[in-house]
Amino acid sequence: MPRAIGIDLGTTNSLVAHVDERNRPQVLEVDGGSRLLPSAVYYDAGGDPEVGAGAKRRAPERPLDTILSVKRFMGRGPGDIRPEDRGIYRFDEAGAVVKLVLNGGTRAVTPIEVSAEILRVLKRSAAEALGGAPGGCVITVPAYFDDAQRQATKDAGRLAGLEVLRLLNEPTAAALAYGLDKRSRGVFAVYDLGGGTFDVSILRLDGGVFEVLSTVGDTHLGGDDFDRLVARKLMQEGLTPVNDAPSPAVLRGAVAAAQKIREELTAHEVVEADVELPEGHRLRARLTRAELEALIQPVVDRTTGPCESALRDANVVKVDGVVLVGGATRTPLVRRHVRRLFGQEPLTDLDPDTVVALGAAVQADALDRGGREDVLLLDVIPLSLGVEMMGGVVEKIIMRNSTIPASATQQFTTYADGQTGMVVHVVQGERELARDCRSLARFTLKGIPPMPAGIARVEITYAVDADGILQVSARELTTGIEQKIQVKPTYGLTEEEVEQMLVESIEHAEEDVTQRFLVEWRVEGDRILGSLESAFGLDGGLLSDAERAAIDERMRGLRDAMAGTDYLAIKAWIESVDAASKAFAERRMDKHIRQAMAGHRVQEFAESIVEHPRATGSKDGDLEDEGT
Amino acid sequence: MRHPTCWSCELELESGTLFCPRCRKIQPVARTEDYFSLLGLQREFALDRADLERRFRELSRVLHPDRFARAEPRERRLSLERATRLNDAFRYLKDWRLRAAYLLKLAGTDVFSEGRTFADPEFLEEQLEWREALALALSDGDVEALRRIARAARARLEGIEAEVGGMFEDDHWFSELPVEIARRLSRARYYDNIVADAERGAAAAGH
Repeated sequence: MPRAIGIDLGTTNSLVAHVDERNRPQVLEVDGGSRLLPSAVYYDAGGDPEVGAGAKRRAPERPLDTILSVKRFMGRGPGDIRPEDRGIYRFDEAGAVVKLVLNGGTRAVTPIEVSAEILRVLKRSAAEALGGAPGGCVITVPAYFDDAQRQATKDAGRLAGLEVLRLLNEPTAAALAYGLDKRSRGVFAVYDLGGGTFDVSILRLDGGVFEVLSTVGDTHLGGDDFDRLVARKLMQEGLTPVNDAPSPAVLRGAVAAAQKIREELTAHEVVEADVELPEGHRLRARLTRAELEALIQPVVDRTTGPCESALRDANVVKVDGVVLVGGATRTPLVRRHVRRLFGQEPLTDLDPDTVVALGAAVQADALDRGGREDVLLLDVIPLSLGVEMMGGVVEKIIMRNSTIPASATQQFTTYADGQTGMVVHVVQGERELARDCRSLARFTLKGIPPMPAGIARVEITYAVDADGILQVSARELTTGIEQKIQVKPTYGLTEEEVEQMLVESIEHAEEDVTQRFLVEWRVEGDRILGSLESAFGLDGGLLSDAERAAIDERMRGLRDAMAGTDYLAIKAWIESVDAASKAFAERRMDKHIRQAMAGHRVQEFAESIVEHPRATGSKDGDLEDEGT
Repeated sequence: MRHPTCWSCELELESGTLFCPRCRKIQPVARTEDYFSLLGLQREFALDRADLERRFRELSRVLHPDRFARAEPRERRLSLERATRLNDAFRYLKDWRLRAAYLLKLAGTDVFSEGRTFADPEFLEEQLEWREALALALSDGDVEALRRIARAARARLEGIEAEVGGMFEDDHWFSELPVEIARRLSRARYYDNIVADAERGAAAAGH
């Protein structure tokens, strides 16, 4: 019988585990005897990609063709990748999905495809170890992954030919591995500092139920940051010949050396190294543990805020135990930091590198057998889901830390007389303005019968499944017109795109993608122009003539660009309009907050909690007019 | 009223049945269910938190989609639907503010949709004072003061919860008191914001 497997698809290393005949989770060997598969993929100009340790060894000589830490790019869209993450790579951001450009520009691959290569190797290794193709699988994700990143991970699983039974949050997986071991009871914190991501979750364990109370994190914080800092210092001090603009290959070599030195400093007080780097460079380094700690202290300090927020969100002052996850938690400084934060010695019985995979295997096995009577995971959604309102303000529909699956419904009304369409812009995040949140999808509810403003009632329902993935539906209540969409993140892959990749004919999709992008940016342009026009009507008095003229001029530029076919130009003009109208948006926000403070919205709050439509007279409760 | 039948084996069922007693298949949520009945509770404001949690966990154990990962598509869908409703119910009932608002809604008193505002000038006056004290403590980065404000606001919230609880004890609350209850829920919202802002400020200033 095919056995289910659990996969930890990590930033630095990936693992696969299963539950053996004696009901114990075990990590399986991959790639010639090791349990850790480096999450590295090397693309040779011809031939199949190479994955794992072999690929990692290629990194120094072929830095651009060897993708490391691809997890940082999962679910990211054009213009979405942080400068510090770009590293040495080149990106093709012309399509809806970001691609990494390889082999001197002759090849481009999406992060999803790169991840799928890693998953294929894990799947093959599992098949060899288990003597047959594995059944379903559970793949772990950082708890703080947003909808787009989750979708991308699931797509990678499908692309690798895996049946993904569930996405599981990494801290929850770790707790599962620990909890089963200990039959514990109480409130636990999981401190997960991986290669590229940081998560902290607070869970309550009771009678086999793992209830996640809160989760907070940072998808751009991890051990990789330590290595970059160490590499920079070592190069300043000991790189010969001196080189202020080292090539990607030299940088790669230096970072690899830094990682090794950092790891050795866990057991030693001082490490000296003399490393040959590519292109005739050489790195002579001497680093003490105290120096290392001074370097990485600021990064470690960045984990304090999330831990405090998590405790506050969980309404907990003290925890009964702290679990450490991720290789970076071996660093003595990190352990001291955790001890101080939570006032106790962290639990370290399980290997922080494998604990997530073990938990994933337990969950995969349980799911495969139709669940276990004795164990239940109740996880939460990490970031609030909302909808953009007039003026770009976000109305939250499902709050972060809600137990999933979850759903919520809110009613909205039309803004203009005779309005027949409504744009629903779905966003995720905690910020107040939609443009500061992650845009997940945008769709238009059409066919609202023309009525005076504020009469039509549109009900929007958000439903999040057990993987943390969202589905949105909108219904006009007087006519019953309904539209339902599985929220595919704006920058994610569509079903068709995945199919396309499966048959490896990505090229043909190019043109469609460009076309779709043009359409999307035109819609975005329309939306912004429309919402500014309305805002001028309502709050035009907040602007001086000169300010208004500056905005008007850029709006004209945007209109001209929208008449053309270059979506990048439209995008640039949108940014320009945004920049020019930023102060205006802020003043409007202030005004509405002042109004709220003056009690004008007292009644609206009560309405929102009993799910009644907002008062007809209230403008800030209206969804944007699609333009009628 | 006609009894529902099992979608799988067509056995006649009591309404509110989770699993068909004959074929063991999970059943859909009945239209008549509300958040209280989903957890097997009476429609009352007063509840025992530990009992609520126990009920939630026991139901989650049998309804959660994890139990149906290998079941047929219809069972998977029903489990997702039931677990979603159960989570929504638990979220509403465990928070006294949402629980009170939900009771008002169930009672059909609809105080909110009639456009009535809760003129509360004295309260708003007092709120301005709280806000001023908060703004001062925030600008001074005075952690002690911020903690004191958060504690004081929490105490007010407890007071409001007790008041609301008392009102729901009244046999005629649904005809006499909905506006009074709604007004207190509005007030609670202000104190919730103060607690949140003060605690965030204290955490930020503490670094």
